[in-house]
Amino acid sequence: MTFRTFATTCAALGLALGCSSRGACRGDYCGTLVFVNANNPKTLLPPVIDNTGARDIDEQIFLKLADIGMSENTTGDAGFVPELADRWEWDDPRTLVFHLDPRARWQDGVPVTANDVSFSFDAYRDPALGAAAQGALARIASVTVRDSATVVFRFRERYPTAFYDAVYQMWILPSHLLAQVPRTDWLTAPFGQHPVGDGPYRFVSWTPGQSLELAADSTFFLGRPHIRRLIWRFVSGAAAGVDQVVTGQADAIDFLGSPQNIALARKAPQLTLYPYRGSNYVYVELNLRANGDTATPHPIFGDRDVRRALTMALDRAGMATSVFGPYAKVPPGPMPQLWSIWDSTIRTIPYDTAGATRLLSARGWRPGPDGIRVKDGQRLSFEVIFPSTSALRQQYARLMQAEWKTVGVDAQIQPLDQNLLLDRLQAGRYDAVIQGFGADPTPASGILQHWVRGAPDRYSHYQNDDFDRLVTLANSGSVTTAQAAADWRSAMDILNADAPGIWLAAPDNVAAVSSRIAGVKIRPDSWWSQVWTWRIPADRLIDRDRAGR
Amino acid sequence: MRGTAAAAWLARRLAAAAAIVFAVVTLTFIVIHLAPGTPFLPGADRPVDPRLIAALTHRFGLDQPISTQYVRYLSRLVHGDFGYAFSQGVEVATALGAAVPNTLLLAGAALILDLAGGLLLGLMQAARARRTADIALGNATLFIYSVPTFWLGLVLVFVFSIWLRWLPPGGTTTPGLYESLPLLGRLADRFLHLALPACTLGVVGAAGTARYQRAALLETLGRDFIRTARAKGLTERRVLLVHALRNALLPFLTLLGLSLPFLLTGSVLIEYVFSWPGMGRLATDAVLARDHSLVTAVAIIASALVVLGSLLADVLYAVADPRIRRAS
Amino acid sequence: MSPRATVALLALLAAAGTAVAWARRRALATRAGRRFFGHPAAAWALRVLVFFSLAAALAPLVAPYDPGAQPAIVTLQNAAPSWAHPLGTDVYSADVWSRLVYGGRVSLGVGLLATAIALSVGVGVGATAGYARGWTDALLMRLVDVGLAVPRIFVLLFVVTFWDRISVGALVLVIGLTGWFTTSRLVRAEALSLRERPFVEAARALGASPARIVWRHLLPAAAAPIIVSAALSVGNVMLLESGLSFLGFGVQPPTPSWGAMVADGQGQLATAPWTSFFPGLTIALVVMSWNALGDALRDALDPRPEVS
Repeated sequence: MTFRTFATTCAALGLALGCSSRGACRGDYCGTLVFVNANNPKTLLPPVIDNTGARDIDEQIFLKLADIGMSENTTGDAGFVPELADRWEWDDPRTLVFHLDPRARWQDGVPVTANDVSFSFDAYRDPALGAAAQGALARIASVTVRDSATVVFRFRERYPTAFYDAVYQMWILPSHLLAQVPRTDWLTAPFGQHPVGDGPYRFVSWTPGQSLELAADSTFFLGRPHIRRLIWRFVSGAAAGVDQVVTGQADAIDFLGSPQNIALARKAPQLTLYPYRGSNYVYVELNLRANGDTATPHPIFGDRDVRRALTMALDRAGMATSVFGPYAKVPPGPMPQLWSIWDSTIRTIPYDTAGATRLLSARGWRPGPDGIRVKDGQRLSFEVIFPSTSALRQQYARLMQAEWKTVGVDAQIQPLDQNLLLDRLQAGRYDAVIQGFGADPTPASGILQHWVRGAPDRYSHYQNDDFDRLVTLANSGSVTTAQAAADWRSAMDILNADAPGIWLAAPDNVAAVSSRIAGVKIRPDSWWSQVWTWRIPADRLIDRDRAGR
Repeated sequence: MRGTAAAAWLARRLAAAAAIVFAVVTLTFIVIHLAPGTPFLPGADRPVDPRLIAALTHRFGLDQPISTQYVRYLSRLVHGDFGYAFSQGVEVATALGAAVPNTLLLAGAALILDLAGGLLLGLMQAARARRTADIALGNATLFIYSVPTFWLGLVLVFVFSIWLRWLPPGGTTTPGLYESLPLLGRLADRFLHLALPACTLGVVGAAGTARYQRAALLETLGRDFIRTARAKGLTERRVLLVHALRNALLPFLTLLGLSLPFLLTGSVLIEYVFSWPGMGRLATDAVLARDHSLVTAVAIIASALVVLGSLLADVLYAVADPRIRRAS
Repeated sequence: MSPRATVALLALLAAAGTAVAWARRRALATRAGRRFFGHPAAAWALRVLVFFSLAAALAPLVAPYDPGAQPAIVTLQNAAPSWAHPLGTDVYSADVWSRLVYGGRVSLGVGLLATAIALSVGVGVGATAGYARGWTDALLMRLVDVGLAVPRIFVLLFVVTFWDRISVGALVLVIGLTGWFTTSRLVRAEALSLRERPFVEAARALGASPARIVWRHLLPAAAAPIIVSAALSVGNVMLLESGLSFLGFGVQPPTPSWGAMVADGQGQLATAPWTSFFPGLTIALVVMSWNALGDALRDALDPRPEVS
């Protein structure tokens, strides 16, 4: 056969092959949503997950007893939505009884029972697992089974966020699949690579480092999810993620970040921007004890006035505008915009370079020959560390370095990989660290985690009894809401006055989601938790929505 | 070279190659174990109970002396067990199995562009040596050869992906759509995703190959046998393509073999810029995460590629040039 | 831009031009010099290199602003090129041209110093192996094989994980110590072939020590390929250093480095392309000049017959 006939045959074949199976799905229950994430999770087993990507994925696969509502109200139980438990009651102020929804099933068919709940509580509290929620569950004395559909929580005391503590921290785990796996093996257990849950989506496949796929469970007892497939794509960094969304390769990103990215997303015709109250915050934590020797005070940061002067020397509002544009505020403490304790009447340290130089000189730090201040032979020079993966904190480090230089302070920038960073923090071998967190909706979790005596992440070695007393009081059940608010305010005043940290920014989060998706709701503490209620109208389906079975 | 002599030479070279790989692996093993930090810390900003780390360290045998660990590693290796990649949460073989084909695809495509483009450019330049076209092309190849690949990648992503929206900005396939496309569609999808990263690597490589090839061709064209061919009345085109090229092809073959290590190292920056899930990116993450098994496995593959590549280059050269064979 | 900086810039351009013109006049007297300047790119390469080297050396005079200064982080951020800032400002409101000038110190410095180290070690090892032969040769060449088998960028990553902070000195040392393998092979080949030449035989007969023979006789004869390889190597090292800085592993701020500047500009590619365009272009120009220099040197010192 001649070349021409050969070519035509090929073309015809190609067309025929190409035209077939253009996409089988039509109607209301189609849709493929692609998310981007910069970190490849190591495991999906809830108590031992290590990053927000895993959290987002587990949010689709597992259920809690009840979930927080869009109002993010953590006090009492009115703001909560039933999930695994369809109703609950308080037998007495310290006993909470949940009744499980009889329709709830694990994705392998086994019904969810109260045993699963008590098993989960056990696991989350087990020190061998080191779950992040361990501390938050401390005030729950016990979780017992009354019958197969009823579970009883007993608290050590009465306090306003008791219900929140009982439900928010734990995704209920399948005891029939995990009971026989020794706890020390949970970090590497195969269940973490192929989780079986009871939520709106089922795990389908995972190519490590590349992509992960979930499929809607059409028999989900709270309602069939409209969007059939969820795909997570793992990219090499935040910038790559934004590129993917802007070009239409991905459908949603939770945090655009810089104003340039927001401008880029705004120009993309297929995207809609959704600003929501930020749950992130960034601050500098200072080590009040000597670098490498927790027995002696830090030669620079041990002095409260020096810490205040260092804070005064930084134009925090200017830096926030430089980094985030109009999309961030300087917080009055280590808190995101989401927390109810955000109060503009809290006394914060103003931006005042003249005051800073005066204070430093007054404390004995005089400018040396190279412009850097010196006191008793010690230079006012220290190291600022942060994770090398965070471009945001790198930017802040550069800005602070330049501003401090103008008042005679020498800051050395040192990005470290996560491994080394945590190592140094836990050993107390650092001077200053730029921390960044995505927070739980309650202030208690962050503050109790970092700043009070006995806090597990108290890397600053900060100690103030008045502060501890006020925080414990505000958090206990023994004061009224108004009094608690006042207590929090006073506690924050003390924290600001002592300046063990420099509060840099609490960004407004701006998410970008494909415009074809209807019913988009983003809950600030867990942005993709409502995805199972989203839908794509049949007339707006695109190729990948229609693809597949 | 006689058959048995050739076989003996090959056997000796293979043994030497194995020895080198062994040496590299041992070195890597020692270095990664001496590096500070532990592979068990999670990626998030939360602490892990030190007792948990101690338990994991003991469980994976990392608290034993290096020599014991080394022996155990080798014995497992002999049975094909590369170990467990802590930073990925899966077996090393699985992690590599996902990454290696991607690197091979990218590097293979880039290599084809590199060699074909370089050969073509070199020929064009040699045919018009010293004239305007040659000088212009020469400057162009010089510039492209000197451009940092990561910068070129960024520029290309911006122009072709963000601005023109002609090509995707990264990844190997379109998520969610690829699996359900027909064969032709899948090939097209892969091709579109491969285009930018392969071009970035390939164009820079082609510039280098072109420079090399031009020099080799010009050197050959100055030789006596070419003058004879011209004197016999052969056309310039035939002289260039048939006689000169065949002789200048020999060093070209060595380039082919020596480009094998390029498969891993040349692509690290490109894989980062294009989010290409290949070995380069995997290895970088592994080093940073102190993932012992993964790093050692990558060291094995990388050094094996290098020594095999140079061995291939030598073999090709010996096969192509009878003088070498006779001389050995 | 201040009058001082403008004058300095013009002076630099003039200096580069005249220096190269003077060198050319002197070189045209020798045959090698004529071959060298026969390459049209050679003169331009020299001009570029002289310009950037002088700029780097005289940075405090040439740069209009302090490279680490961030005068107005909100209002002057990512400003387009203007009279005040000829190449614009970056995301920290620092002047791009000033950072380029000072960045040359690191980029060129690391390139030259690391090459010097690699060259010294490579020449030493190669000459020893080639001249001594036997066991020494075999051992050294096996060492070279192992060195070549390890991908350079991973060795550098290893080093970064060992040290928290990698100073410029450490960076230079590591890059240098991982780059001598090819040079040693080259020198060894030269040493092997030159070893049997009559002038070496004569020197041996006269009782000269091996070291003296290598230093006084072998190396000068092998100088040509060594010099060419050096010129090309500087370009390679500069690309390597910029790649490392781009990934975040090079010198730390506030010291500017061209590769780090490209990384800084990554987030602004769409809105402020000059922040990464100019540093990238500079790297390309300077590396290109080193490569062109290497080409021209090869022709001048080590000519091969070409078609006329």
